[in-house]
Amino acid sequence: MTNASGVEEQTLTLPSEQEVEKLRAAEATWSLSFTLNGESVELMVDPTETLYDTLRERLRLIGTKGACLEGECGSCTVLLDGKPVTACLVTSPQVQGRTVVTVEGLAKDDRLHPVQESFIACGAVQCGYCTPGLIVSAAALLAHNSTPSVEEVREALEGNLCRCTGYTKIIDAVLEAAGDEPAVMSVGGEK
Amino acid sequence: MTDTLYYQPKSVDEALQIKAELGAEGTFLAGGTDVVVGIRKGKLKVARTIDLSQVPGLDGIRRHDGFLEIGAMTTHKALEQHDVPAALAQSCETVGGPQIRYLGTVGGQIGTASPAGDVSVALIALKADVELRSAARGTRRLPLDEVFVGPGKTVIADDEMVTRVFVPLGRRSDFYKIGKRDAVAISLVMAAASVGPAGDVAIAIGCVAPVPLRIKRAEALLDARGLSDEAVDEAATIAREDCSPISDHRGGADYRRAMAGTLTKRLLSRLREVTPVKAKPAESSAEVA
Repeated sequence: MTNASGVEEQTLTLPSEQEVEKLRAAEATWSLSFTLNGESVELMVDPTETLYDTLRERLRLIGTKGACLEGECGSCTVLLDGKPVTACLVTSPQVQGRTVVTVEGLAKDDRLHPVQESFIACGAVQCGYCTPGLIVSAAALLAHNSTPSVEEVREALEGNLCRCTGYTKIIDAVLEAAGDEPAVMSVGGEK
Repeated sequence: MTDTLYYQPKSVDEALQIKAELGAEGTFLAGGTDVVVGIRKGKLKVARTIDLSQVPGLDGIRRHDGFLEIGAMTTHKALEQHDVPAALAQSCETVGGPQIRYLGTVGGQIGTASPAGDVSVALIALKADVELRSAARGTRRLPLDEVFVGPGKTVIADDEMVTRVFVPLGRRSDFYKIGKRDAVAISLVMAAASVGPAGDVAIAIGCVAPVPLRIKRAEALLDARGLSDEAVDEAATIAREDCSPISDHRGGADYRRAMAGTLTKRLLSRLREVTPVKAKPAESSAEVA
């Protein structure tokens, strides 16, 4: 195809979902088993892919968001053995035998985690992209420290960037959720 | 695939064996905060990855024989939560955000050899040694400031691994970082200093040279003359003279050079305030600006 300026235009054909599946399957040469949101998971992955890729692309857990993909923004925060880490910096083979909790794993049965409830109640969400990462970081804090100070909340969230809110309502929401019983706040998987 | 590109050894010996076979082709993966980003951005050519996550015994902190022994896979967060010298704790607290500090390791930081390595600067100022190990030659121990030779370049041989860091106990220390933001910002300039039980001083500055820079000329002057106002001023002048900063998007070379002096003076003054050292009488410690 040639456009008005006489430049050859290339038609972009996206691969079908089946073709993508086939490509991904071909790369998956590494056998991985770990505990994910309380359940044992076994699957084949590309050993050079990150936990972020595995969660979203292979396990379809798309609550974990990716923005910078270099550990700066915190949007992809998950709990690894109970500790908040950025899933974009962890290769999937590194979680072998370990415990991962994503934002999808924080709710218990039909009950949202107290931090999730308080984010809704306090209006701590604007565009929402950073929200899952912030909720995971906040849940990790409250699992250890049920009555944090404002300063402790700020420190726990310093690795999560939000470009909409200015953080005020996010901090309110975390303080609002604080004080619940330890059993409710447990995030599991700690070593 | 004909070759395995990713290795996951289960012991230090196995890891060293693999590294010896792969040589420069093999890159150790510790916390991944630099290596994984480097691979994704195409800045780091990694032909073969040797993942150390399943190797037991490489992390942990213990006091032994006058030293704090720190395993190479000990994370910044673990150091921050442990009773470690002030400069080391402060440098760990300034690295990234919590998510980075739970992943990044002290051995990884040394291997990465960034001139902006906060923890490396603190460790050099604490006169720390590093232990390197290879399958062929066993272990060797050398002062950390002799490890770095350029950005991303070290004297660590192709078949060697950083296994431990030894930090002498009993040194008073302090750390100061200038960055654009408190969290998740690479340092613009940072420095650390320490004073030993015998009054000997060590100073290191980051982001002002191709390597975390130890200011030995200033140390020698202070060892000879104590922390008098004049000696501290001269040390600050030497720090400005001995650095070779670059200008980049974080800051200009002139500013970095000026701050090398300012931080040197500030750290030495603060260390003197806590306990007056040698030549100066106690009452003069209050005069520090």
